[in-house]
Amino acid sequence: MSKPLLEIKDLHVAIDGTEILHGIDLTINAGEVHAIMGTNGSGKSTLTKAIAGHPDYTVTSGDIVYEGKSILEAEPEDRACAGIFLAFQYPVEIPGVSNMYFLRAALNAQRKARGEAEASGAEFLALIKEKAKLMDIDAGLLNRSVNEGFSGGEKKRNEILQLAVLAPTLAVLDETDSGLDIDALKTVATGVNSLRSPERSFLLVTHYQRLLNHIQPDFVHVLLDGRIAKSGGKELALELEDKGYAWLEQTV
Amino acid sequence: MTTQTHNSLQLAIDGFTPQSAEPAWLSELRQDAADSFAALDVPTIRHEDWRYTNLKPLLALKLAAAAPARITPDDLKPWLIEGADEIRLVFVNGFYDSTLSRIPALPQGVLIAPISQLLGEEEGLPSKLARYADHHAQPFTALNTALFTDGAYIRAGQNAVLETPVHVLYVSTGGQINAPRTLVLAGEHAGLRLVESFVGLSGDVRFVNTVSEVMLAAGANVRHAKLLRDTAATHIGWNEVRQDRDSTYTHHSISLDAQLARHNVNVMLAGEGATCTLNGLVLGNDTQHIDNHLIMDHMRPRCTSNQLYRSVVDGKSHSVFSGKVIVRPGAAGTDAKQQNNNLLLSDDARAETKPQLEIYCDEVKCAHGATSGQLDPDAVFFLRSRGLDTRQARNLLTYAFANDVVEHIKMDAVRQHLEEVMHERFHGLLGE
Ligand SMILES: Nc1ncnc2c1ncn2[C@@H]1O[C@H](COP(=O)(O)OP(=O)(O)O)[C@@H](O)[C@H]1O
Ligand SMILES: [Mg+2]
Repeated sequence: MSKPLLEIKDLHVAIDGTEILHGIDLTINAGEVHAIMGTNGSGKSTLTKAIAGHPDYTVTSGDIVYEGKSILEAEPEDRACAGIFLAFQYPVEIPGVSNMYFLRAALNAQRKARGEAEASGAEFLALIKEKAKLMDIDAGLLNRSVNEGFSGGEKKRNEILQLAVLAPTLAVLDETDSGLDIDALKTVATGVNSLRSPERSFLLVTHYQRLLNHIQPDFVHVLLDGRIAKSGGKELALELEDKGYAWLEQTV
Repeated sequence: MTTQTHNSLQLAIDGFTPQSAEPAWLSELRQDAADSFAALDVPTIRHEDWRYTNLKPLLALKLAAAAPARITPDDLKPWLIEGADEIRLVFVNGFYDSTLSRIPALPQGVLIAPISQLLGEEEGLPSKLARYADHHAQPFTALNTALFTDGAYIRAGQNAVLETPVHVLYVSTGGQINAPRTLVLAGEHAGLRLVESFVGLSGDVRFVNTVSEVMLAAGANVRHAKLLRDTAATHIGWNEVRQDRDSTYTHHSISLDAQLARHNVNVMLAGEGATCTLNGLVLGNDTQHIDNHLIMDHMRPRCTSNQLYRSVVDGKSHSVFSGKVIVRPGAAGTDAKQQNNNLLLSDDARAETKPQLEIYCDEVKCAHGATSGQLDPDAVFFLRSRGLDTRQARNLLTYAFANDVVEHIKMDAVRQHLEEVMHERFHGLLGE
């Protein structure tokens, strides 16, 4: 049996004093891919933001344990440097900061924090070229400001490019598949699949079953009103697709 | 006016004596300007154009008369711009320093010299100097005209193009009232690039009162950067620009440091089809106060103007932007844009923005927008989620905001220099 990488224990999360998550329990072992499905507003993004440490999301009780240690007190940048990555549902635009510059600053900040040597210009260039090719991102996009004027699909592929360059241990993807056409979806899936390894775990938040045709999850969880209503294997996604979320709402 | 006779500025005029004998036309010009100054009120905050900038402290300063001083090449070094110093004029406290200046052989039709060397008849200065900036209307232009000691004269005759930038360094060393002056004349289809640096070498409280006149004949092209880097100075500058038909003027006003600064830029688009771009950046901290006051006067048809001013204010600093666009009757086909964005980095920093449009003509395109706000918290969180700490994230976003102005500078050496300065100010992010 492999080691747990992330253990979420009876997690309660509030925004502006309103509790959104009402006690989540979830364990992800090293190398596993977990999918979280659920209707809009069920709390999926809230869970991902709490893992990444967004200051607006308050953990009111419970714990998030990563590599055996609670990370509730850790700053978002410390979590990132420890290997936690969140691909945002709505990637933010950063005018005036080139993609290349930003990625190198991020990579080197993480390496520095881990006591590793910073990437030289040449090393970084080689790395980004390889990953951009994998994600089907052309050089023009690398030199543009982060996400500024990008199409929806370009923004999502750019998130996966960051994932590929930063090579985290735990990758949390928040609806990276939403709004993608089938080709872009396949590109994203190829990118994610190429990063799968026995040490690296994924938490895929998705609204639709189709992503899971391309990325095979080990476990599927359904979130309903801030609680995990059902967990199962990948067949749960198909069952959901078949019967709809209403089926679960009745059974709970 | 009687109320002002004993202020520091009037005292400076009363006590002024030129360093050497001057021709009659210049003495008469000074006297005329001195009379105007005495007749004009130094504006107070009750004056609409000076609402946010209080000059009372200036009037109370004890200011010595401008006097030459020796400085070393090492003193000058920090202010040089690699790649833009091949031609350079250095004035210390408003006096020409020939040993620190460099004027190489210039193309046919181009003349670069200190004004003090051109007071005779041959260059025709009596009819050119003080012709554009109006010392009868503007007290600080009157003050400068009465007191100016020297300054840069840059002329390119018809079709003469000087690609190499001219760097004019106005250096202040002490607690004086310095009055440098620049005159730029670009003939028909001439081209010039100019950088004016106003720098300070000591922490003595001082007043720098400068006037630049820039004249562009038909089809001329002038790029002009003004860099202000004098922590101890109260700086009041008047930049008067007159553009004839189809000329192109591009101005970058970069305020890196000043105790109090007021930049007036007054552009007359006096010929059809002229294009003017005014860009500005303010980096304010501590209790600095930087006021940009622009007037863009579309006098003739089919002129294009574009203004982009940004300020980054930290500490208790205060920035003011006031931009007036006037479209005169008959100036059809005018295309005027104005944008002012302010980034507030602290709770005590303030930014005032005051766009004004006076349009007396139909068939014009005028667009303006203003924003003031703090860094986008979602952007800060995004960068932190990628491993940058809060300080790095804020610095990177601030750099990007400011660089939006700097990246428009087409004089490569100047742009690169400013990028380095900003990197330093916002803590080298990549460590190199
Ligand atoms: N910043 C916020 N402020 C207030 N309420 C929020 C905020 N973000 C999300 N919510 C609320 O929290 C609930 C869960 O939202 P979210 O986690 O975004 O759901 P999902 O990602 O599953 O669609 C919703 O009811 C939503 O309205
Ligand atoms: Mg969501």
